[in-house]
Amino acid sequence: MTQTDILSSEQEDLRLLRESARTLFERAGGSDRARKLRDAGGGFDAEMVRELAEAGVFGVAVPEDQGGLGMGLAAAGIIAEEVGRVIAPEPVVLTIGLSLGLLRRLCPDHPKVPQLISGETVLAVAWQERGPGGAPADATCRYADGKLTGAKAWVAGAAGSQGFLVVTQGDDGQVLVLVEANADGFVINKRAQADGSSLGELSFSGTPAAELASGRAVQDALAEAVVDATALAAAELVGLSERAFEITLDYIKTREQFDKPIGSFQVIQHRAVDLHVMCEVAQAGVGEALAQMDGETDPKIRARLASRAKSRAVTAAKKITRDAIQLHGAVGYTDEFDIGLYLNRALVLSAWLGDDAYHRRIWFEAREAEGAAQ
Amino acid sequence: MTDWNAMTDAEFRKEVRQFFEAEYPEELRHLPHRPKFAEIEHWHRKLHAKGWVAPAWPTEYGGMGLNAAKLLIFYEEQQRWGVNRGRDMGVQMVGPLIIKFGTQDQKDYWLPRILSCDDIWCQGYSEPGAGSDLANLRTRAEIDGDDFVINGQKIWTTMAHDATHIFMLVRTDPDAPKKQQGISFLLAPMDQPGVDVRTIKTLSGETEFCEVFFDDARTPRENLVGELNKGWTMAKALLSFERIFIGSPSLAQNALGQLESFARGRGAFDDPVFRDRFAQAALDVEDHAALYARFADQLKRGETLGADVSMLKIWVTECFQRITELMIEAAGPDGGSIGPLQVGNVSVDVLASFYKARPTTIYGGSNEIQRNILSKAVLGLPG
Repeated sequence: MTQTDILSSEQEDLRLLRESARTLFERAGGSDRARKLRDAGGGFDAEMVRELAEAGVFGVAVPEDQGGLGMGLAAAGIIAEEVGRVIAPEPVVLTIGLSLGLLRRLCPDHPKVPQLISGETVLAVAWQERGPGGAPADATCRYADGKLTGAKAWVAGAAGSQGFLVVTQGDDGQVLVLVEANADGFVINKRAQADGSSLGELSFSGTPAAELASGRAVQDALAEAVVDATALAAAELVGLSERAFEITLDYIKTREQFDKPIGSFQVIQHRAVDLHVMCEVAQAGVGEALAQMDGETDPKIRARLASRAKSRAVTAAKKITRDAIQLHGAVGYTDEFDIGLYLNRALVLSAWLGDDAYHRRIWFEAREAEGAAQ
Repeated sequence: MTDWNAMTDAEFRKEVRQFFEAEYPEELRHLPHRPKFAEIEHWHRKLHAKGWVAPAWPTEYGGMGLNAAKLLIFYEEQQRWGVNRGRDMGVQMVGPLIIKFGTQDQKDYWLPRILSCDDIWCQGYSEPGAGSDLANLRTRAEIDGDDFVINGQKIWTTMAHDATHIFMLVRTDPDAPKKQQGISFLLAPMDQPGVDVRTIKTLSGETEFCEVFFDDARTPRENLVGELNKGWTMAKALLSFERIFIGSPSLAQNALGQLESFARGRGAFDDPVFRDRFAQAALDVEDHAALYARFADQLKRGETLGADVSMLKIWVTECFQRITELMIEAAGPDGGSIGPLQVGNVSVDVLASFYKARPTTIYGGSNEIQRNILSKAVLGLPG
């Protein structure tokens, strides 16, 4: 095969992957399903998790010799886009990026790895902590002698997880430990999010925990897993923006005022074009960043690329979902119309793992550091 | 003769880059103004001797015969090195039209003279009442014996004061049912009593635009290209490649590079607000380049570009403007100063960049017109 043939066969694989993920979500009910799950009190659908697992979704970026598909981050990004399009609440990015991201790097032979790939279990990942003022602060939560004491914050997916992967301070630097959801001395407070999901505030008091890894490797693996999850969250936002724009475009073509569709007014047309262009730029920029991450081993460069992706995706998603409400007019402000679900999901995904301003700063600092190193 | 298209992209890029870097005069790099022919004549002779004046023309007419992919590389390298396009209206606009629609006599006579710059062309399209609404043009050409007699006015005619010939869209049938009909494509000599050229001084103080007045000017009937009253469709057919070229990232990339060295020298990066705005602009350029690459790949696969390519121009020109605005900010109290500002070993003409960026959202179909096109042809919005 020539290089072009290989390229086009990879493209074809990705196209098929996108198609199967889309079909799966559409068959399950598209964005209506997200509304139903939200109205039922948040959380996700365990049956859907199993179906996604069957389609190979969770193992997409896990190397083949560790039981995954080994298709890399760009392929995972395609799945994340499809998740974003139907604002599916299932922990896809969480699992691919964070829980599997950590375990496959630190303990690939752990029995939780195949369980995560097969959708038998869902694990949330906890590493951040709140300081006294409420903002992020250094870790004070301690692990010693098989027990965990302290608190962790902003834990996505805490509501439906069977267990928690906690990165925190051990006797000898950082440790990765596993805590069962029903462990003694473990309390989860849920902080409700705009989209119906929740972030967990975890507190541990002498909670039994099993140590999985320790030392410098934990810190590195966490950083890389967070970078992957950041890039995938960007892809999810791209899919979300794309669909929010489609919904809006349909609306302005059909909604009539002054005896014509409002989409025939130039001011509306030009705003719609700007959203479309924003969406295309985000798709291209995020797509390129993820593809480059696949070919890059230097963690600093990968982190810069992830920040590029997330800052672009958040900028686009914010603009698109907010303008989408304006273009819907008053009905855009009601809960009845789906467009609001997209705005609310965009708010949550934007804040998670850093928004556009945060990632522009990280990106700029990384670029400066690379420049200085040369 | 070299078959450039048979080379790999990387080989071809290297070849083009080496030639520009070795042969292009240093003092002409990144010229802030459009040069008169005399200023770049020496470079043009080199290019002509090399056979590189017309990269897009078929080899049988003296061009390089580049396919779309190679052509894009050629232009990318040209812009990267700051190589002036020269007086290329003949090569870019008239030549391709004559090649496609001209008679054998027209090809034999005009094409070699375009390559050698024996004739230097300007483009007579816009009129005072026909800018974005170009089909509204009123300049008349009437048949009188063996000649056309031309009356009317063209405007924004770039470098008309340094041109020997004008190619123009003229109204030959004022009674046609649609205004796009009844327009013809005509070639005319500038050096005659009926043609009067006045330069227009622009905001930047340059005089690259002109008004051209026609008062019973004459041109032989054989200077009609293509069929009578079919000029509109012919002129439109030429624009498809221009639409990706006009959306290329180079202008914004070059400006960003200038902004960075200038801002660094001036200490502007100490300000976190400036850092953030720089990062925004830099990411805007980077992500635009990713989008541009997608369209370029389409061309490389031999596909024709759709109307959606217009989005490149909208994004990159507006981004280019923001970058030049940041340069002015970084200049602080020097933000209104004419001429180059020296910072360390870099010299940046802040206002020249700012002015250069302004018309980019106006020419080549204003960005508002581009938005109209996208809205109808891509988004399918009514009306």
